[in-house]
Amino acid sequence: MLNINNLQVEVGGTHIIKGLTLQVPAGEVHAIMGPNGAGKSTLSYALTGRDGYDVIGGTATLNGEDLLDLAPEERAAKGLFLSFQYPLEIPGVPTLTFLRTALNAQRKARGEGEISVPDFMKLSRDVAKRLGVTPEMMKRPLNVGFSGGEKKRMEIYQMALLDPRFMILDETDSGLDIDALKVVSEGVNALRGPDKGMLVITHYQRLLDHIKPDRVHVLAGGRIVDSGGPELALALEADGYDRYKDAA
Amino acid sequence: MALAEVRLLAGEEALLNALPHTEAGEAARAHFTAAGLPNRRVEAFKWTDVRAALAEGIPEADGSAGLIPACLQDALVLDFAAEGFGLEGEKDQGLIIETEDSLELEGAGPLAMLAAGFAPRAVVLRVTQSQDRPVVLRRHPGAPMRVRLELEAGTRLTLIDTGLATAGLSTGLLEIEIGADAELVRYSLQNGGTGAIDLTHAAVTVADTGRYHAIALMFGGKLARAETQVLLAGEEANCLIHGAYLLSGSTHADMTTKVVHAGPNGQTRELFKGAVQDRARGVFQGKILVERAAQKTDARQNHHALMLSEGAEIDAKPELEIYADDVQCAHGNTIGALDDQALFYMRQRGIPEAQAKALLVQAFVTDVFDAIEHEGVRDWFSGLARAWLEASSS
Repeated sequence: MLNINNLQVEVGGTHIIKGLTLQVPAGEVHAIMGPNGAGKSTLSYALTGRDGYDVIGGTATLNGEDLLDLAPEERAAKGLFLSFQYPLEIPGVPTLTFLRTALNAQRKARGEGEISVPDFMKLSRDVAKRLGVTPEMMKRPLNVGFSGGEKKRMEIYQMALLDPRFMILDETDSGLDIDALKVVSEGVNALRGPDKGMLVITHYQRLLDHIKPDRVHVLAGGRIVDSGGPELALALEADGYDRYKDAA
Repeated sequence: MALAEVRLLAGEEALLNALPHTEAGEAARAHFTAAGLPNRRVEAFKWTDVRAALAEGIPEADGSAGLIPACLQDALVLDFAAEGFGLEGEKDQGLIIETEDSLELEGAGPLAMLAAGFAPRAVVLRVTQSQDRPVVLRRHPGAPMRVRLELEAGTRLTLIDTGLATAGLSTGLLEIEIGADAELVRYSLQNGGTGAIDLTHAAVTVADTGRYHAIALMFGGKLARAETQVLLAGEEANCLIHGAYLLSGSTHADMTTKVVHAGPNGQTRELFKGAVQDRARGVFQGKILVERAAQKTDARQNHHALMLSEGAEIDAKPELEIYADDVQCAHGNTIGALDDQALFYMRQRGIPEAQAKALLVQAFVTDVFDAIEHEGVRDWFSGLARAWLEASSS
């Protein structure tokens, strides 16, 4: 599914990701943990193609297709979704307009027909109900005036609606209280499937109690410095990241 | 002002020769012969150089006056063409239309004088009863317009004025008197080609509790300038001016406004939004003057513009001048680029860059149109803005 090989990324001339190799097979959820400044967000932006995140070496493919030469919207149409650590507010664009535009743009890029308005309305309502997104939230401009928790819920709502093949969750637990964390986690777990993959980026183990990973990787100094099963996350929670200081 | 030695350019000479031999035409000729056309050395025209635009003479008129949109099929249409003034449709009771060969000039400044000079006569509209049907003033390519509009106390009128020439010099002068508790709602549309020079001036006086609400949409031309001067003469007079300019290619649009609060308890709301790309140039000059007698004035002015290309230019001059001590006045002015983060966020969701930009710009300008009460006109203006965005992003 997602295949990253010896990835090197520069941001503003600073070398941040220094030879990162990672495979996430279809059907699996992998967690990436690491201290602040390890390059976790840089990895998610480089994979999704944000300007200013310059890939200077290595490869990244999704189901065998090269990602790095594609525009961000083309990567999205291939099924790559990033749940942002800090979701943006888009004033003046109603949430439903935004989502229908995004969904239809992706369908168009894949050579599929547009979704009809009634079908879209039904889909958006069904998904909203599952995630506790109120009709009031859907009518407002996207994320404008939303609390931190509402924004994260809205990210997962978008994810469920767009039905991507590979999902990157960047610090999805930050800003969530325990009830919101449960709702969001349930929403994420519902999107797991045999033909889907997920990369969960987090600083804390807490999220992984709710979204159980198949593998846990430690990112430090721009490289994967350790990998293991879910028990690795528990060890990190107990011991912290100090022992990786020199590994980087 | 009387500079003895103003050397006129060939274009200015041609323009002066084209002025008709009417009283107003002669007055304009005398003025511009002495002072020359407004140019960048004159403070009020430093960004909109009329002399330079007309340096090669008056461009030949081209284009059409435009079709009346379906939402205004019931409107009374007044046509201002090079051949003269025409009326389409039956007028209702309470609207009197006359023409006057000679009227004292109410507007101020060179554009008012120029527009008065070119108009062979003034069309006078008197509203003695509120009008349900809107009135459309349709300016044809290369044609002058002068309209005096008087709203008697308590009456209401919706006015739409359009100038859509692709080329030529079009001028317009609106002298508007809004009586006590009367209301004028005005929607203006200007869309010009690269050969169009469009110069308009509106001079508005508002009596006690009268209301002037105006929403304008400009796409610019070789040179387009819409001036509005509002005098809130009475108590509790109300003024709302919204404007949007959407410019691409090498077009130029200028929205210049001056609102004078002369009576107490008045209110002004100004909101201007612009989006400019390629080598186009947008100009906003807005002044609010609160006289000593205008206590309890509540005035707000906002101008926000987006630069969509490196070569684009936006010039803004917001001004508040306040002589009363018990007032609430505020203004805000920003010029910036589209938010890169928002753009990336939208693209990450699969929306192509051009479409994402168009959505963001549309969202940016849309609150200018929110004040349009006429649903059909609101859809019309929004649709024109959307079409511009689609054309400029493809």
